[in-house]
Amino acid sequence: MIFSIMIYYTFVSLQYSTEVQSGIESSVSISSVFMIASIILILFVAVFVLYSNSFFIRRRKKEVGLYSLLGLRKKTIGKILFYENLLLGVIALAIGIVLGALFSKLFTMILLRLLDSAIDISFSISIEAIINTTIVFALLVLFTSFQSYRLIYRFQLIELFQAEKKGEQAPQASMIAAGLAFILLICSYWLAFHPMTTTEEMAINLGMIMVGTIVGTYLLFRFLTPYLLKISKKNKFYYYRGVNLITISHLLYRLKANTSALTIVALLNAIALIAISIGYSMYYSNQQNTSIESPFSYMYVSTNKSFDDQVQKIILMNAKHPLRAQLDIPVIEVKGDISNPEMQSYLEGFPIKFISESTYNRVSAALNRKTTIQLSGNQVDGIQPYLTDYSSSDYQGHTTTIQLPNEKVKLTFQTMLKDRILNWSYPDFCLVISDTLFNKIAKQITPLTYKAYKVENEQTSKETSDKLTQLADEKGIQVMTFYSVYREGLESGGLNLFILGFLGLVFLAATGSIIYFKQLTEAHIDQKHYEILRKMGLSKRYIQATIKKQTLFIFSLPLIIGILHSLMILQALSGINLITGNLIVPIVLSMIAYVIIYLGYYLLTLKSFHKVINN
Amino acid sequence: MRTVVEAKRIKKLYGSKGNVFTALDDINLTVEEGEFVSIMGPSGAGKSTLLNILATIDTPTTGTIIIDGADLMEMKEEQLSAFRREKLGFIFQDYNLLDTLTVKENILLPLTLSKINVTELEQRVDEVANKFGISSILEKYPYQISGGERQRTAASRAIITKPSLILADEPTGALDSRSATDLLESLKDLNEKDKATIFMVTHDAYAASYCKRVLFIKDGKIFTELGKGNQLRKEFFDKVLDTLSVLGGGQSDTF
Repeated sequence: MIFSIMIYYTFVSLQYSTEVQSGIESSVSISSVFMIASIILILFVAVFVLYSNSFFIRRRKKEVGLYSLLGLRKKTIGKILFYENLLLGVIALAIGIVLGALFSKLFTMILLRLLDSAIDISFSISIEAIINTTIVFALLVLFTSFQSYRLIYRFQLIELFQAEKKGEQAPQASMIAAGLAFILLICSYWLAFHPMTTTEEMAINLGMIMVGTIVGTYLLFRFLTPYLLKISKKNKFYYYRGVNLITISHLLYRLKANTSALTIVALLNAIALIAISIGYSMYYSNQQNTSIESPFSYMYVSTNKSFDDQVQKIILMNAKHPLRAQLDIPVIEVKGDISNPEMQSYLEGFPIKFISESTYNRVSAALNRKTTIQLSGNQVDGIQPYLTDYSSSDYQGHTTTIQLPNEKVKLTFQTMLKDRILNWSYPDFCLVISDTLFNKIAKQITPLTYKAYKVENEQTSKETSDKLTQLADEKGIQVMTFYSVYREGLESGGLNLFILGFLGLVFLAATGSIIYFKQLTEAHIDQKHYEILRKMGLSKRYIQATIKKQTLFIFSLPLIIGILHSLMILQALSGINLITGNLIVPIVLSMIAYVIIYLGYYLLTLKSFHKVINN
Repeated sequence: MRTVVEAKRIKKLYGSKGNVFTALDDINLTVEEGEFVSIMGPSGAGKSTLLNILATIDTPTTGTIIIDGADLMEMKEEQLSAFRREKLGFIFQDYNLLDTLTVKENILLPLTLSKINVTELEQRVDEVANKFGISSILEKYPYQISGGERQRTAASRAIITKPSLILADEPTGALDSRSATDLLESLKDLNEKDKATIFMVTHDAYAASYCKRVLFIKDGKIFTELGKGNQLRKEFFDKVLDTLSVLGGGQSDTF
């Protein structure tokens, strides 16, 4: 509980931190983002605390029964438990806040580092955060204390005493249910790899995947795994050897008791991994994405010579960011229709931008790209719009008819080019035509001149970007800078990553703890078992081996399932382009981190298990 | 005849400096192969302590024990475990069956660490189950069978490794008279037909009367010994009861 208080406090204090607020330059509103996240956190923490509380209460059933047997009135016992819990809660709250204050500095630093700010942190205590945390947890503690109070009333006296002795029944493995689990999961996975195009399809499919996965996972733990274990019993040669007999039959029983816990853990793992992977990948590929979106450091449409000169001066003045390329890009904007209905709706009646082939080649060269193109007659190449996954086949065979003042011209699509050359603006529909055609049209419609500049180290070009934006705003001109796009991406990405990572960490801690607690309770129950084994002559080594195997199974199964599910869903999401960018590295890293932490929990559990057993 | 158990001057002390309790005081004991011996005495006399020491679950403070030629004091934990597994068989009062395993699995559990192949394993289980009349419940779980059946399962488990010595701690303690008789008859058969060496701790004179030799222990010392000789079980039973009434009953300070 201390841990959860600490985490919550840290989170909330960040929310109110002034330093963080100054670290965010773009219009990303941190308070709302943090608020949503803190609500999720509250819900989660509440559930977790309630769960572990009922867990601890259950362990004390016998003790409470004893009190009642000795003649204490139910009301008195209830009050004892209530105040006990209340006191513990208050102490935990105090300690949690203190620890949280200490740790908040650490986390603030991490957050600011992610946001790439160079702000210094001072150690401060936010009163609002304290109040917020106290209120939330006071409510929680009150509730759990009440839960404890009710314990004595909920059960009959005899039940309290026999809580430990209750024998367990053999788990049933229904083949039908096991088969169902298998089918559900396979279907979900298949759906995930199935391409989805329309939004309707997406919603339905995602919904089905979600339901299928959740139910499938539950059935997996409840029926499929016991079924598989039971089958392995048939292989007598394997089963009757060494620790396998004890391990497998024990697991069969444990699975039945732990089904819901394991299901929840597996699903939480999947969610956490997905969240962290997405957050990390967005952050990681920010640089890449921004480069695609904004090929140039600065770009605007030229209207006024003096303005152009001012801009040039500002840019050239900046010694830290030397000029790499400077280009004028003539662009003709003309309305037109496209025979591909999807693209037609994408355009929404806005003008198409046309560029000549030589301009395209010039820009490519300036940006150190290899592509050169050559067109003739009425051929036209399309440039892949940002954030779509059109391919050449979408263009080939189609035509576009543009409306010139005197005539209509019909152009035939040749192929699609991947490299964009203009910074993003709406709509991002750019086509390349031959020089002859361009010049012909230029006589009828005056081309706009896009001024493009590329400088070194554009990620840090804050000063110049700001100056230009200010200047442009005065004149009512729109300037598209690399820096602003980059910065926005970095901040929202960084913020998301931090929050997601934070939540992921919390989930991780919670799931590990759940398994840890469950295993420990079972250790107490199993003590007698292992004593019998010792008496029969099975050595310490044997017992350690079987414990190791069982614990490994219990820990790794939900972890593996969680990883598989998350991979599957990430695949589905990237298939519909909900997430872009390079995913592999972030995903692998997140999973490795997860596995390592789980390993820690595993070892901790083993140690505690041994302590209990060897008593 | 081989001597299976040879215990000399066994002493077991509990506690420390000011507060020492002598559980076993200079016990000497021999059991030959094929004997059916029982040890009786009031609670706290040290019966279970002695059994635990013979079972290698506990170690004496001083003294030597040699079981089947092996000196228990010389052995390390791993060796003792192996010894327990291979040479000894246990029947406890509260059965001590694993409730996650079926009857059959409980019986063959001690064999899982030996290198016996599966066919022989199954054969042995069938053999032993037959002997105790529990072949019909092999696939059931402990919670599904009666107390008597559970104890017979435990007994089957005790003998499946063909041990040199079977140790029984109050085997009939939790059974009704019918099941108790069944179990005792089976043990008697085991002893007479298969020459099994059985050492039983009990406070029930009826159970003790099934044995060939009964030792009486009080306050950590062996008090006396009764041999059955050629008496009928009923006569022996009366003799045992007589000795018990001398032995027990209140704080007698004639000893």
